Amino acid sequence: MEMILNTIRLINNDQNVEWNCQDVEFMEEHLAIGFINPLDFKKLYLVPSLKLHISNNHGDVIVNFKQDSKIPEGIILMPVSLWANQVTYVKNNNIIYKNIKVNVEGTRDPPTKLNELIEKIKSDKI
Amino acid sequence: MSEQLKITCSGCSLLCDDIIIIKDDKEIKEILGACQKGINKFNQIKSKNRILSPLYKDKGGLKVLEWDLALNKAIQIIKNAKKPLIYGLSTISCESQILALKIAKKIDAFIDSNSTICQGKFLNIASEMGITTTTLTEIINKSDLIILWGTNIVESIPRLFSKILFSRGKFRMTGREIKNLIIVDIYKTASFKVMGTRDLAIIIRPNEDIELIKILKKAVKGDYTFPNEGISGIDKQDLERFKTFLLNSEHITILPGQALLNQKTNGDAIKELLELVNLLNNIKNNGRISLLMVGGHYNMVGFEHMALSETGKNQSIQFKNGESIKSDDNIISKIQKEDFDLSIIIGTDPISHFPLEISKILSSKPIILIDNKKSGTFLIATLILPTSITGIENKGLAFRLDHVPIQLKKIIEPPSLIQSDYELLQKILDRLNK
Repeated sequence: MEMILNTIRLINNDQNVEWNCQDVEFMEEHLAIGFINPLDFKKLYLVPSLKLHISNNHGDVIVNFKQDSKIPEGIILMPVSLWANQVTYVKNNNIIYKNIKVNVEGTRDPPTKLNELIEKIKSDKI
Repeated sequence: MSEQLKITCSGCSLLCDDIIIIKDDKEIKEILGACQKGINKFNQIKSKNRILSPLYKDKGGLKVLEWDLALNKAIQIIKNAKKPLIYGLSTISCESQILALKIAKKIDAFIDSNSTICQGKFLNIASEMGITTTTLTEIINKSDLIILWGTNIVESIPRLFSKILFSRGKFRMTGREIKNLIIVDIYKTASFKVMGTRDLAIIIRPNEDIELIKILKKAVKGDYTFPNEGISGIDKQDLERFKTFLLNSEHITILPGQALLNQKTNGDAIKELLELVNLLNNIKNNGRISLLMVGGHYNMVGFEHMALSETGKNQSIQFKNGESIKSDDNIISKIQKEDFDLSIIIGTDPISHFPLEISKILSSKPIILIDNKKSGTFLIATLILPTSITGIENKGLAFRLDHVPIQLKKIIEPPSLIQSDYELLQKILDRLNK
């Protein structure tokens, strides 16, 4: 399903805090996450055990999700992080962090691990 | 023996100067008055992710180096580079920023700060159109309307509201009772929780802020009626209230956030907002409407000032033959064009902030990282030089988000053999000058 992704800053999902003091597992739990409206949860035929596969022309990532009725339908929010960076992009020399068109679907695959993201950055050297 | 000190927190750009700590000769025992971000800053002191020795990556992985060898390695890498980049600089003191600028000049580097992907976009456009800014003191004393536009202050600069919204001022003696709040965002963020019945919550459709600003410009001129169906998902009644607030409030402060910087038409929303501000300032007989930029890093503003005073340009500075030259690039375009062969990253983590396509290019060239803690960039850096924490383990000057300079104190000693950004950059500069 096509959705609009916005990256945000949340005090309990802050990559600066996570890098500073927490374990990798804790970081993955707090940063590999998307927030969606419960109506989108239904539209995506999700169940709590599924994860979200988020993709666009720039990349893809698998994250956990939480439902939040405050979030407008059709919008997915993600904390600014290595996970969100998989679908952000550059336009006119600026990084686009907001209003990013993405395709979202449920998956049984586990959330993308930190080391997988780092390997992706390292292995595909241009 | 324990002592109590009042210090300034470098957890974010608010630089709260009312933090109380209780410490002995070796460590901080208690911190009073700091927010979650501030506490996190102090937690860095003993974080298990703290970097405590220079590290160099070779085929066998990361190796610990003696300082002298690490500095020699840094100089060797820098001297081998023909097109170095220096990036970050928003979490170091102004004194260190000046040294980084001197190094950039010495090695003909391109130097840029985090501001270039944050509030710097606003300042760049404002440099062409003009901008009315304000200080925290002025907001406390005079503001009767505060507008958050696309920023969630409660979670990004947690104590800002307690300083500017809930405080009593010289001309606003009743404090919160006389200060109104408008929040414009695409959903009800945590900041909406402080709103009272008089305040105005504007939930706008994504990417349509520019339409709202354009309509408000027409409306405040007095020759426009809002459409009955409203605009951008906002009711006509709320649009009328927005207009009334803008025209009837005396001192208005707008805090613009990333949502405005990231509109579909790059930069246009900023231009429109600056035009609205200028328009209102021309219409109003009393008071003023101003902007307060809310960048997060504690000394992002400092680099704007240091770079401007040293080079005449506030960011994205290219040096050639020891002089700053005209360049339309920023850090993103330099990386995207692969117009670099080394990056020196100081006090920031681009790998955790840049899109994958940019991080890949950045990681394909050597990286020297100068920082105090592990990060995404740490995981791909070639050479890592650790530093102490400014505002805790070393002193220095920083500029608060409202462009007011604040002196940060040294509170405790840094870990053994760990020097400040200033000391480290000075050593690098000295060795480059030899």
